[in-house]
Amino acid sequence: MKNYLLFIAGACLWNGSLAGSTPVSIPVSYIQQGKDNSLLHAIQQIAERNGKKLIYDKEILTGKTVHPYDDELPLEQLLPLVLSGSGVGYQLKGDKIILHKVATTVTPVTRAVAQQQEWVNGTITDHRTGAPIVGATVQLVSTNRSIQTGVQGEFKLPLVAATEVVLLRVRYIGYKTKDVTLTPEQLKQPLTITLEEDLFGLDEVVVTGQGLDMNKRRLSTNIATVSGKELEKIPAARFDQLLQSKLPNAQIRLTGGQSGATSIIRARGVVSAFKNSTPVIYVDGVRMDNLNTASTIGGGSAQGSGVSSLADIPIDNIERVEYVNGGAATTLYGSDAANGVIQIFTKKGGSDRTTVTAEATIGAERATTDFLHFDRTKELLFEPGMFQRYNVAVNGNSGKVGYSVTGAYLNSSGVQVFKQNQNKRIDLRSGFKAELHDKVTYESSFTFVNNSYKRNRNGNQGGYTGLWFTESGASATTGPQPRFNPRLDELSDEEFAKMKEYVHTAERLQDNEIVVNRFQTSQSFQYRPMQNLNIKAVGGIDYRVLRNQAIQTNEYLTHTTGNLTTDRGNINNSERKYWGLTLELNGQHKADIGDLSIITTLGGQLFRNEDRQVAYIGSNVRDGARNISEATTTSSNEFYSEVVNYGVYLQSNLGWRNKLFLDLGLRGDGNSAFGKDIGVQYYPKIGFSYIPSTESWWSENLSFIPSAKLRGNYGLAGNFPPPYRNLRTMTFPSYLGSQAATFGMPGIDLRPEKTNTLEAGVDLGFWNDRLTLSAGFYHAITNNALFSVPAAPSTAENEALRNVGKIMNRGLEFSTQITAVQTENTALRFNLAVNTLDNKVLSSSGAAPFNIAGFSERTIQTVVQEGHPVGFIRGSYGEFGEDGVMATSTPLQYLGTTIPDLFGSMGFDLQWKGLNVFANADYQQGAVANNWDSQFRYNYGAGDEGIPTGEINSEYGRTRWLSFTNMFIEKTDYIKIRTIGATYTLPKSAIGSFANYVVIGASVMNPFSFASSSFDPEATISGSAEGQDGATTGGISYATYSAPRQFLMSVKISF
Amino acid sequence: MKRFKKPIYMLAGTMLLLSSCELTEVTNPYVTEDRFIPSFQSLETWLNGVRRQASVTVGTVVEFSELVSDNYFNNYTQSSKVFDNPEINYFDQDVANIQAAIHKLMETSRFGLEELIPLQDEDVSQQKAELLFYQAYAHILGAELYIGLPTEARGEVRSPNELLESAIVLLTEASSLFSETEDQAACTLLLARSHYRLGNLTEAVEFSREAITHPLSLRQVHYGTENGPSNNFQSYIFSSATNSFAPLPRLDFLDPKYFHQTTTIFEDEKPIAIAKAEEAYLILAEALVAQQNIAAAKQTLKDLLTNCVGKRPTTMLNDSKEKRNGGNRKDYPLTAASVKFDTESVTKEGLVLDRSLGNIPAYSVSGTHITLSDVDGAVTADETLYLIYLLRQEIFIAEGRRMTDLGIRFPISQREQLSNSHVTDKHTKAIIPDFIPKNRGLDDFTYDTASGVVTIKHDMNRILVQHKNSPYIMPFHK
Repeated sequence: MKNYLLFIAGACLWNGSLAGSTPVSIPVSYIQQGKDNSLLHAIQQIAERNGKKLIYDKEILTGKTVHPYDDELPLEQLLPLVLSGSGVGYQLKGDKIILHKVATTVTPVTRAVAQQQEWVNGTITDHRTGAPIVGATVQLVSTNRSIQTGVQGEFKLPLVAATEVVLLRVRYIGYKTKDVTLTPEQLKQPLTITLEEDLFGLDEVVVTGQGLDMNKRRLSTNIATVSGKELEKIPAARFDQLLQSKLPNAQIRLTGGQSGATSIIRARGVVSAFKNSTPVIYVDGVRMDNLNTASTIGGGSAQGSGVSSLADIPIDNIERVEYVNGGAATTLYGSDAANGVIQIFTKKGGSDRTTVTAEATIGAERATTDFLHFDRTKELLFEPGMFQRYNVAVNGNSGKVGYSVTGAYLNSSGVQVFKQNQNKRIDLRSGFKAELHDKVTYESSFTFVNNSYKRNRNGNQGGYTGLWFTESGASATTGPQPRFNPRLDELSDEEFAKMKEYVHTAERLQDNEIVVNRFQTSQSFQYRPMQNLNIKAVGGIDYRVLRNQAIQTNEYLTHTTGNLTTDRGNINNSERKYWGLTLELNGQHKADIGDLSIITTLGGQLFRNEDRQVAYIGSNVRDGARNISEATTTSSNEFYSEVVNYGVYLQSNLGWRNKLFLDLGLRGDGNSAFGKDIGVQYYPKIGFSYIPSTESWWSENLSFIPSAKLRGNYGLAGNFPPPYRNLRTMTFPSYLGSQAATFGMPGIDLRPEKTNTLEAGVDLGFWNDRLTLSAGFYHAITNNALFSVPAAPSTAENEALRNVGKIMNRGLEFSTQITAVQTENTALRFNLAVNTLDNKVLSSSGAAPFNIAGFSERTIQTVVQEGHPVGFIRGSYGEFGEDGVMATSTPLQYLGTTIPDLFGSMGFDLQWKGLNVFANADYQQGAVANNWDSQFRYNYGAGDEGIPTGEINSEYGRTRWLSFTNMFIEKTDYIKIRTIGATYTLPKSAIGSFANYVVIGASVMNPFSFASSSFDPEATISGSAEGQDGATTGGISYATYSAPRQFLMSVKISF
Repeated sequence: MKRFKKPIYMLAGTMLLLSSCELTEVTNPYVTEDRFIPSFQSLETWLNGVRRQASVTVGTVVEFSELVSDNYFNNYTQSSKVFDNPEINYFDQDVANIQAAIHKLMETSRFGLEELIPLQDEDVSQQKAELLFYQAYAHILGAELYIGLPTEARGEVRSPNELLESAIVLLTEASSLFSETEDQAACTLLLARSHYRLGNLTEAVEFSREAITHPLSLRQVHYGTENGPSNNFQSYIFSSATNSFAPLPRLDFLDPKYFHQTTTIFEDEKPIAIAKAEEAYLILAEALVAQQNIAAAKQTLKDLLTNCVGKRPTTMLNDSKEKRNGGNRKDYPLTAASVKFDTESVTKEGLVLDRSLGNIPAYSVSGTHITLSDVDGAVTADETLYLIYLLRQEIFIAEGRRMTDLGIRFPISQREQLSNSHVTDKHTKAIIPDFIPKNRGLDDFTYDTASGVVTIKHDMNRILVQHKNSPYIMPFHK
């Protein structure tokens, strides 16, 4: 392995040397250089392009050459730039440019001016509305020095040293980046720079999957970017909820409405049958714990549905989020990224004036009762709740140091009775940026999150759970004697009052709590030894400690089982400590050789994760004790996992005339979980990008499509196997208290599964980009997919992962944004994303089917089997005779896929002066799920559930409830409106000098759901994935709470 | 140029540093096989593992084969929902799991014999004998329960007879190595059983006669302690609150065979017999019937009752929580009821107990309602044979033996077939003789609460005797 790395490093060095031998020039956008670099030629071209006549004395231009310049700059900026230092001045008169000799030598004067001019200052405004842009970044291109604009769009940036010209780069997400060349004369005056909205995003700079900065124009892949400003509008309590409906080609579904519930996030299908489809998440270059299923030692209340690590990823102070969805876009992440990568960039500075922003959001929470079967369940299990969130942010920049500090407190009382789902959260975050040297910049961010929440029992937790008792009809078989009629709506008031008392006591006596403390930091240094070389080192950690405590008192057990229990009170604790370290070092070199521009990135990345879980359980505990030291007997358990992945990558992006790009990349990876004979794993990629709209033939014939990009690529990304599964081990169970030994893991030489993606697409902007359209297709094959293969019994081996599978995902991806109205005061935009998906297990190499979630084989499972989609529903298929009695039943049948074949999101955004109204929604179609609650209701006699009366009245009664599971399968098509909201920025006249600005807002979360299923199509217990980080596709609706509705008001004030 | 190269070397150097240092090493919390084999006391620990596997294998076999048979009915949602029918498919995971449990016992004992025994310096003949014994027992289970099984990883399928022949070789060697009489007696019992199943009348009689010289010999697999292994069957019939498995009402008085009388269940988990002297009497009696020596057969049965079953322990047990109310059938009699073995039979009393009235006798090794006078009452060969099979059913209840007596065999599992080319289509079909009633008929009964009479739908022992020449049952009657 190390020899390979040496070889790769050597190869990289060779490449670096080669690149180093090429001429180096200042990187400037929009350069179009002819071969003739004489000043005369340049001026002639500029005049021609601007339709001006040139009047000059040839002598004053003889022998003078020109530096690279941006010929798209306005003439007024371009001429001083081109002529600076040449001793030639100009005058613009009508359609003439008159050149003349400058009497005095320019250079010394400029220097003198520059020396006096230590600052550059000005204002950044929106080209359309004229409104100041707050938070735009103004960068001095010759250095990494930058500053953010203040609340009036103002900026003041110190200059480094005397220079003839200054190149400023102004960027703000959603706007076209602007490079402004300033002459010393211009620097004397405060500048007003206007930015145009970038609806097409061709020149947006992105990082994720590229090593360092890269212009989107150059990319052969799609990268979705969401601005912090956009995210701030959504008052979500957790990160994945924040992104719901925001990523055009990804689907994010919360699988339950309780705090900390797991989610299903997937974009290009389900590429793996062993690993959860959650993308890898980075914060400022540091890999986060992204466990989105129950952990190995789940314990306590995690048993029914897992606790997601995504629920406590910090959500404050986000500058922007980038998302790449696998394939070539994530090749540089190697063995870790077949599910895609989400990267969060945090704020690390503000304007030169310190601003303090305070925000308060308060409102009401109401249970989403749309999907309850019985009307009366609401009264039994839910109550109104209250939501409050307060946030204070301090941003500023003092000389060479930028800072950004926030603190937030959230308290949601939840909608379940007795505040059994209350959620409290404290977020503290700081980000700093410092210029240590004119070539070295340092950035750091620290975050601490404390999150604690309650959870009442849910899902397949065994024993009493509120929803199982009420909605699944279990009150017919459990609870007090005599049993209740499980048809709640038919109960007499008196009986219902009794049931309410029983349920409320059972809910009140539950005592489950989850506490998460999470600390993370990212530290990075950027060193720019020369204009065209940037070296970045990032290191950071994520440390997350979760404690999950479930206390069952004797009182609770006695109440819910109906048997007097005096010695079974117990405290079930589990703790999971995750420690992740990320180190990355990379360098990016930019070279321009004639029409060719080459960006070469070389880097190395390492991450290692430790995951230690312990359970400590006390049995026979006295009611009231909260500590297992008070227990009569105690027991414990432990799980430990550690993995390290390390790789080097090289990427070269070759551009020709800024319109045609070739993207090449390779990553080589080693990983402690690979089998010992596997060696380095390589992930290559190749892609192209072409901007035909820059061609004259395009602008002449297709002027209504001013922006266009064609792209295509092929690339690999992987998923590494779980740690230690490559070892041949012994395991040591107990035999009557003595140690015993038996076979453990069979020692399979595991390699990562690799997803090969071929994709192509076109991005078009019509009518001044008023309509943008992105369309593409992808075809991805996961080879060597890790399947959990039950061994042939005669081998006596345990079930083990093997690289035997082949999974296909393919689909079309469309997204469009329509700017219906765009005037100085008004903008109205609509966005729509449509994705299709075709998922299939092409081969399992003869291995037997296996389940990834569900219950026992003869009940209901989601299964992986050759020829079917991953995680299809398998159960008994029953057919009924004419008499309504079941005639045949065939077990283990395909009952439908849980993966939708169509999904996407939509939204609108209306801005009128200070008012902003927005809404977003997402939808899916083509998947099904099993209504397990309904199946239970049938079994318990709580409903007939559409089963023919012939069967119910037959000699079998309701005993064959598992023989026709097909009768309980429902389509899960839905459209869910996630947010409807409005904000209003008070006019300056209304607030006077009280504050810089005041924004008031109102929003409704989860207001409407339109679903084809009678149950919540989202709430499908993904926490039941088999094992930690296991694949899941949902698909079973069972005793799971829906996310509540929230009606919120907010006030945001900046001082 | 020079200035440019420097950072590149720095970058490469740092990467090399990263790739070579401790950062890439991980702690492995597991014990690898290479490390285990030569380690201290590895044989002793492994032998415990084999004993544990024997407990687990027997537990699995008992749970599922009792459901297949007419002994127990699954009245709950856990465990197999189809074996009661009986519906046995080669793709059923339970079929694969039972097969895997047998192979695990076979392979763990083989691993001990081949990998660990040769490394030992001291005398390990007792350990070797025990490993041989368990390997033989795994072969017997394979022969009795399956249509045939491979004995090596993805190996050729060997017929039940071949498996039994191997078991005989292994047991003979084990018996010669064992120094304790009771261990030798256990070998003798299994030898008698193997020969019986092969239809080797002479050898079966010979080993049975030798075995009954120790009329109370008993070999069991054990369960208990917090970390197991657990007697799942005990949980299904007694310890769990759900009353999952219900016995055929005529066997009600024999339930529960396994039970706990402590606060904590795992402190009292009953062992399950894998070889007991009763079997030798029963084999001998059946051989005598086959030889038409009815008088001697009846005397053997009387000896069985007097010298053996009558001396097995009986516990007075509080079983008042038993409500037979798992959910699928709600008509199990809970008060004392008369039982008719089928519609033709006379009613019998005392077989269904009213557990609410007080403690009941529980038989954790053997029990039967057959008395000496019942034996005297048998006149013909068939009547005696009927009695023998009724005794076998009652004495071996909850020991996983009845399914074999009914002539039912599991197919080789799909999981095996998918990666073992020796498994052909004929191996993937279960044997369910035609005389076995379908649609839960084995466990079916009617309960006339007015008259207090339970009528069992089929008297399977009568049906067995009627079909004694079937190739699947009663090996001496061919």
